[in-house]
Amino acid sequence: MNKSIKVALAGNPNVGKTTLLNHAAKTNLKVGNWAGVTVEKKEGFVNYRGYDIHFIDLPGIYTLEPISEDEWIAYNFIAEEKPDVIVNVIETTNAERDLLLTTELLEFERPMIIALNMSDEAAKLGIDVDIEHTSELLDVPVIRTNGRNGNGVEQMLDKIVESAQNPRYPRAPKYHEQIETLLDRIAADGEGGFGTAREKPNKRALLKILQESDGRYEEKAKLEKSLKKGIDGIIKEERYAFARGLFDETFKKKKSTGRDITDRIDKYALHPIFGFFIFLFVIFLLFKISFDFSTPLMNWTESFINDFLSPLALSALSHVGAGKWLPQFFSQAIVGGVGFVLTFVPLIGMIYFLLALLEMSGYMPRIAFVMDRFMHKLGLHGKGMIPLLLGFGCNVPAVMATRTLENKRDKYLVMAMIPFMSCPARLVVFSFFAVLFFVHPAVVIFGLYLLGILIGLLTAFVLRKTAYRGKLSHFVMELPPYRIPRIRTVFQITWVQVKSFLYRAGTVIFAASVVIWVLLNTPPNLKNQSDSAAAYVGKAITPVLAPIGIKDWRISTSLIPAFLAREIVLSSMGTIYSVDIQHKTTEFHFLPALEGQMKGLAEATKASCMSLLTPELQTLQTDSGQQSLQTVIRSSFTTASALSFMIFLLLYTSCLATVAVMVREGGKKFGLLFLAYSFVIAWGVAFVVYQVGSLI
Amino acid sequence: MNAFQAILKEKTMTDSTDTASKGSAIGRRTLKDLSVGETARITDFLKENDAIKKIEAMGLRRGKKITIMQKLGRGIVVKSSNSRIVITSDVAKHIEVK
Repeated sequence: MNKSIKVALAGNPNVGKTTLLNHAAKTNLKVGNWAGVTVEKKEGFVNYRGYDIHFIDLPGIYTLEPISEDEWIAYNFIAEEKPDVIVNVIETTNAERDLLLTTELLEFERPMIIALNMSDEAAKLGIDVDIEHTSELLDVPVIRTNGRNGNGVEQMLDKIVESAQNPRYPRAPKYHEQIETLLDRIAADGEGGFGTAREKPNKRALLKILQESDGRYEEKAKLEKSLKKGIDGIIKEERYAFARGLFDETFKKKKSTGRDITDRIDKYALHPIFGFFIFLFVIFLLFKISFDFSTPLMNWTESFINDFLSPLALSALSHVGAGKWLPQFFSQAIVGGVGFVLTFVPLIGMIYFLLALLEMSGYMPRIAFVMDRFMHKLGLHGKGMIPLLLGFGCNVPAVMATRTLENKRDKYLVMAMIPFMSCPARLVVFSFFAVLFFVHPAVVIFGLYLLGILIGLLTAFVLRKTAYRGKLSHFVMELPPYRIPRIRTVFQITWVQVKSFLYRAGTVIFAASVVIWVLLNTPPNLKNQSDSAAAYVGKAITPVLAPIGIKDWRISTSLIPAFLAREIVLSSMGTIYSVDIQHKTTEFHFLPALEGQMKGLAEATKASCMSLLTPELQTLQTDSGQQSLQTVIRSSFTTASALSFMIFLLLYTSCLATVAVMVREGGKKFGLLFLAYSFVIAWGVAFVVYQVGSLI
Repeated sequence: MNAFQAILKEKTMTDSTDTASKGSAIGRRTLKDLSVGETARITDFLKENDAIKKIEAMGLRRGKKITIMQKLGRGIVVKSSNSRIVITSDVAKHIEVK
């Protein structure tokens, strides 16, 4: 059994802690939540020189005088869980600011390592750090790291192991003489039970007692009076002074040579007029690339599953002499259900890839700044733009991201808008139906996205006039420098998301398909599917859905499991409708088929890349020659009912994960009320669209 | 509601009721009054609240030199050392500059 070391990564936001963790832990990363709160908790495990190093990435914070939830988490972790080593990651180019947190961390007197990150950027700006001197002053190992190429990560691991073998406790910062005298007295008094404790209280604990001791120490009152300040303010100023002194002592800035690229980009990106158009252009690119690039690949995936994997498996099944029901189960539940949803993997991957790229480039907060002008007029917070944009990726992390909004009212307003932002799971359904029923599917899909945004804005408007009145709160936000994202990290993030989609396909979607298939075949040996248990269930809820044009039991049945996740509506329909497909029993030849698939993949990749060269948004095209699911599903919709069906699916929060996170973040009442509200709105809009559409 | 949220709520409540500033802003120059491209030094904070505490922790402290990079609506982009911070004018009016 190896010895384990618990390491906390602490630092300001955007200093590259997570990238360092990625370098150190490689694939052994775990992403979860902190107990009781929805703040993301990243952990990494490294086996190094016979030690199990367990990294905990604390939320990025500026100070350990906790105000926000993130700060409380970091504070509690360091104070209560007592990590074996704290790695304080500092953005070298912003060290003067970052050293406040360093000062506060030193007060805990835990073994510590200072990692001066982004050393390459600092060198470019002519910033020079005397690391030996810093190390001497604080009695803490100091190293240089570079998140871009992973330089210094090994040295960090070495220092962590050294620290575990031979703990080195840092020198706590020295403050105002009178404060120090007071702290000595508190320590001697043994206040707060320290007298009996074996461990010597750390400086932070002593300071806390001093801050909370009302009227116990005469000198404290005297000091406050002479400095005309409360003790909290005095300690704060002392910390700033220490950080400032440390900075002046160890950081030297030579005349920088290069002009700052961030300032040059910001001249346009934050410009009152250009900034807005740049924003629109970026959003356009996001959609264009995700649609156009993935369409050829999606077509290929579909043919790979239907023309290669499925016949391959079926011929294997017939070789081993499987009975009648196994091949039937395979082509209906597995290929029809799960396989159907898997075709959309390229689209989902592309969207996540681009969103990760956007997030890591540093552009996101600029959007908040540029859009605040409009959002403000609508009574919303500019910072609320970020969760809303994330909502296009997935509503669940978007709801979690609302915690960056300090004001409760702003948070609830944004949370009530997020579920109307269409996510890739919905896009999967839209892209299928829009192509099937409309000449210009891209226009229809774009319209649906806009409709979602409009309903979101209306919801916020109504809430602001009723439940959440009050003044709009201020905001304070950092604009990080632009950085070219490390492509490997972007791929890693994309893969995590795609993996979770594949996991859903293999678990929830698979289970739903199996249940539907079993219900379809209950009671056994049915002549007519519409007498099955599945049909019975669907018919029972048809009265509710008939006014919005959903009269076929096969569709209403599919909608029930779709509450777990929206794309299940497609897999369920795939399972149900597969029954009607007449399978041609052609001979299957492995090698020629494989060769054909490989050629197809090469062509699809070429088509994907070529699509990036055209300036306009191409329509989503699927092979029109294909019969199969498309044809049979088409027969049970009209254009009006297909549109109303898509609108219903867009607006109704039919996603268990989103409802769950809304309940957790906003309370049970909020989550459930919203669920009911979204159903009413979805039904209402779909009703109007269907009734009007049917007249035309 | 968990402990964190309870504290958060309490904080925001005290924040909104605390309207009394340390002194009147008349006659003083605040960050809000600076125009784009102008450089100045922070001399004092006229109010003590969570937003101001956060700004200080983010690096805008007494004595720091700042430059206004852009203004748009109520938002102001302030550069200090190598960090850029957006603050709204209702916070900027409590930051005295010279």
